[in-house]
Amino acid sequence: MSDSQKKPNDIDYHSNGSLLNPLKSISFFARKPVTEPLEPRIAAERYRGFHVNDWEKCIGCSTCQKVCDNAAITMIRVPSQKEDPLNGVRNLRPAIDYGRCCWCALCVDLCPTGSISLSREYVHTCYDEQLDSYFLLPDPNGMHNQDYGLGWQKTDENDMIDHNRQIMSEISPQSRSDNFDEIVVGYDKQQAIIEASRCVQCGMCHDACPTHMHAPEYIRAIWQDDLEEAVRQIYRTNPFSHTCGRVCTHRCETACSIGKRGEPVAIRWLKRYAMDALGDEQVRKLVAEDHADASTGNSIAIIGSGPAGLTAAFDLAKAGHKVTVYEGLNKPGGMPRYGIPYYRLPADRLDADIDVIKDAGVEIICNSWIGKDITLDKLQKDNDAVLLSLGLQLGRSTRIPGADNKHVLKAVDLLNQIANGEKVKIPESAVIIGGGNVAMDIARSLARLQKQKFGNVNITVTAMESFDHFLADPEEVREAQEEGVVILPSRGPQECLVEKKKVVGLKTWAVLSIFDDKGRFAPHFDENDELCHDCEMIVEAIGQMTDVDLLGEKLTEQLEWQRGRLQVDKYCRTSQQWLWAAGDMVKGPDVVHAVADGHIVANSMNDYLKSLKTGKQKS
Amino acid sequence: MRPENYEPKHHPPSTEFELNFGPNHPGIEGNYALKVRLHGDTVVEARADAGYLHRGFEKLMEQRLWIQNIALVPRICVPDPSPMEVAYSMAVEQLCGLDVPERAQWLRVMQLEMSRITAHLFYFGGHAATTGMYSPMFWGVADRDLVLDLFEELTGGRVYCIYNMPGGVRRDIPEGFLERLSKLLDYLETRLPEYDNLFFTNHVLVKRARNTGSMTQQQALEWAVTGPNLRATGLNFDVRRDDPYLVYDQLEFDIPVEQGGDALARTLVRRNEMQQSIRILRQIIQQLPDIKGPIRAPIPNPLAWNVPAGDTYVRLESSKGELSWYVVSNGGQKPYRVHVRGPSAMHAVQVLENLSKGCRVEDVAQIMFSLDACPPEVDR
Amino acid sequence: MDNQQQLENLLTTVDNITVNLDNQRRIRLDVPPKELPALLELLKGRAGFLHLSAISCVDWIDENEFELVYHLWSYQINTLVSAHIRVPRDPGVYISVYDLFQPAAFYERDIHEMYGLYFEGSPDMEKFILTEWDGPPPMRKEFDSEAWVNDHFDWQDYRPDWLIEIEEQGGGIETRPDEQRFSQSKGK
Repeated sequence: MSDSQKKPNDIDYHSNGSLLNPLKSISFFARKPVTEPLEPRIAAERYRGFHVNDWEKCIGCSTCQKVCDNAAITMIRVPSQKEDPLNGVRNLRPAIDYGRCCWCALCVDLCPTGSISLSREYVHTCYDEQLDSYFLLPDPNGMHNQDYGLGWQKTDENDMIDHNRQIMSEISPQSRSDNFDEIVVGYDKQQAIIEASRCVQCGMCHDACPTHMHAPEYIRAIWQDDLEEAVRQIYRTNPFSHTCGRVCTHRCETACSIGKRGEPVAIRWLKRYAMDALGDEQVRKLVAEDHADASTGNSIAIIGSGPAGLTAAFDLAKAGHKVTVYEGLNKPGGMPRYGIPYYRLPADRLDADIDVIKDAGVEIICNSWIGKDITLDKLQKDNDAVLLSLGLQLGRSTRIPGADNKHVLKAVDLLNQIANGEKVKIPESAVIIGGGNVAMDIARSLARLQKQKFGNVNITVTAMESFDHFLADPEEVREAQEEGVVILPSRGPQECLVEKKKVVGLKTWAVLSIFDDKGRFAPHFDENDELCHDCEMIVEAIGQMTDVDLLGEKLTEQLEWQRGRLQVDKYCRTSQQWLWAAGDMVKGPDVVHAVADGHIVANSMNDYLKSLKTGKQKS
Repeated sequence: MRPENYEPKHHPPSTEFELNFGPNHPGIEGNYALKVRLHGDTVVEARADAGYLHRGFEKLMEQRLWIQNIALVPRICVPDPSPMEVAYSMAVEQLCGLDVPERAQWLRVMQLEMSRITAHLFYFGGHAATTGMYSPMFWGVADRDLVLDLFEELTGGRVYCIYNMPGGVRRDIPEGFLERLSKLLDYLETRLPEYDNLFFTNHVLVKRARNTGSMTQQQALEWAVTGPNLRATGLNFDVRRDDPYLVYDQLEFDIPVEQGGDALARTLVRRNEMQQSIRILRQIIQQLPDIKGPIRAPIPNPLAWNVPAGDTYVRLESSKGELSWYVVSNGGQKPYRVHVRGPSAMHAVQVLENLSKGCRVEDVAQIMFSLDACPPEVDR
Repeated sequence: MDNQQQLENLLTTVDNITVNLDNQRRIRLDVPPKELPALLELLKGRAGFLHLSAISCVDWIDENEFELVYHLWSYQINTLVSAHIRVPRDPGVYISVYDLFQPAAFYERDIHEMYGLYFEGSPDMEKFILTEWDGPPPMRKEFDSEAWVNDHFDWQDYRPDWLIEIEEQGGGIETRPDEQRFSQSKGK
């Protein structure tokens, strides 16, 4: 370095220094000494000290345990805490082994709820015999019940949870409102892999799902782009995967840990992706690996080919029983076929599900009404066990004046006719009574037909609930509105106005309250706020019930009923040893519950048939 | 190796005797040993003996998720841990093709230069102790603590910051941090002349360090000496300038060079480097507020993160010399292979063995310290 | 860039190598094992690659090969060359480059100790770090160090009061840390 570049206090290598130089430090005697107090000094604001866990926020998802670098975290079941699988809460809490923890705070950064933090406390000492104090169950109080304040905690900067799901593209309202094409486009491969990668594998979805689908496993497989494994995992519990991948009520997403602060992982769309992307032929081949080799010689009759009936049939056929399914309508599928419009569930996807079930050896006989074409007695005689999975095919009526007019229709009947391709009289204007998903289905179906025929939409939905407590899914409401359906909340139907035997309108009052103090249905109206909705047709979509005529008087008396619903035990057994009942008719409308019921029935029948055999051998 | 397992090579009667220098000798940095063969006071042969601190980092890293390793890597080198985090993060970023936001790069440079100051403060205290002076050690360690206070504020950790992660850094600076850093730099600058008086121009040091452990530039290149040790032999080379990474190409700094090639030259290079680090930090204090933007590029969920297959060699200038990381991914969730090429591996083994030959036994410790070798990093 | 050009010209004179320019200052070479010493000599002699930065070894167990990577730096043209070779895992022998680069002695000794790959002609193949280890070379992929640790050490069995209390309420340890480690999951 040349002299000109030298800094003032650069030292010359060749200088010999001086013995006197260090003596200049003697001046330090005149300075104030630095004295550190014995008390530990207060740590910095983002110090990584001991753990603090807000038990109110903690859901026991174990993500901290998974990301822990040093295997320092043990999950402890704490019975005093809330356990609520449907809302994704477990009573597990992390305990930290401070013999292993390295205070990297990855547990904080990755915590889905933000419950865990590190405090500003950093001193802990103990004798050998107190070594147990190194193992701690952090609660909000800190290690020594002293409040040192929070140190490293979750902020937007260090949060490592991706709160946003991959956006699902949909066909625009303009191009979808005059046809029954499927609205949801589905994920492509890249979207699916990214969406799958958001999962932290906590398994909350598995616990919340009525049929306990192995969602963490198939999401992982999708992330690894191993679609065969994904479908294998899906078929462990659900033969209606195309259907559930589209119209499931996705309890899993309600429970999802990521959904605690962000948008839950799109578990339903991922299932749909896996099923669609693998292709129908591949799915059939894959599922066939798992079929029974030997027949048991038992035969089972199932009445109704909806999800409950066919799931049971699938399981039982795989177990080697001879299964025959009787369907009154001309195609199998039940409510998913006749109750769900094609724009939500295209018929060919349902067919794909049913094809796989048929492959297992299930025989489905359509156009065969029990009680008309075959009697139930005969079924009982010819088979070892019978399952009733009839579904809910009768629409309920409001029973308001004029509701018996022939232009006042039931939503189920109308949906059924539309799905069946029957000619339906399309009204120029219609009012729908009801605020659930079925009301949206019929409103949107009619809107499409109107658009096709007249080029414009004139549908009004009157629901008793306010938008805050609406029954239909928010996206259904949004999509219906996009398609031109007018939705009026808090309107109670009073009278169907009829002139010359023709419907001309619906009279409604504003709803003040729906339930009384005890939670019973007892609507309260404001009679002064009256509206008349002009229309040619009124559709009632306020609920369904089961047509149980086929049981016959004698059997109906033998079975147990409550409020018109057939009673079954937790194994779906009726009071008759040979008869099971499952699905919507006993549990209310929901595809995935029906699938869960199907499995329960299959297991229960299997046990029963086994006991029958051992019983026979004994005698 | 344990003393009970040690077998002497030479038995009496012999004119030579063997001395086990370490592993807990006060003149040896960390847990490290030298088996020294002496003839009188003169070293005939020295053999490095490592393994007292082997934790198998390279193997451990193969068993951990990409993200989990951020907690592991700083522990490779105790006195200067920050470059390890940065190197690992940079390697993963290169494999993933992640673009690191500019602000994060500036924050990283800030961390690296602060770390360089702590390492050099630690170093010169140690060097002083090997020449029989203990006050500089207290000074160095006490002043280092003040920098660690700032690390604590910035990163939540004093020594093992775990501040970096692939994609950027974990937190932005806290409020008022730059002012406090600026004050600390003022203080350190006032301390430099005091260090000079106490140590760097102390006649005792000059006498003992000059011509101790000398090597020529030729030798230094042959032995793969790097960093300050290489610059002390007159070669003007610094990875920060000649193979630039992060934002070093936007910063002004000189590269201190000395010609002597001995312990004194090495210690002077480091002393001047502290000054240059202060200069770099001052520029950062000035420019950082104008650099807006995020501090971390978005990375996938760490529990479902496959790094694309490939390999990369990341090189940076740590306080001790060239630090390189060779990271290989086979496309999986964990690194397939991580090779840490720490500067100390060369300095503490071959160079130390060579330089010790022919010197007097009381200088061995000084030579080791003047090379600023870090035994934990040799062992890995 | 003239120097770089010169280097590229130089490399074209060598047979059987694949040249890959990663970026401005990084060059990857894939070389047949027997050509490597000659290549290193050429680089050192003609392009100033005096500095052997490191020799890295990678165990590709599925291919039954070791990959050796020689990282060379030239102070003259500020470029890093990584020369990759593959040698069979069995018998695991290669030649030393100590006569060209003295630092090779340390790296070769280290690789021998950690991978069991022997370097013919290396001055010192003695143990260094693992002087008291008589198991298999631990960095080989088939050596499962976590299994070894589990065989040789116990988990600390903590019984703090709070745990006993929770167990009395019917709770207790649900998942131990080793039962749910992502890093231990099979496959990629």
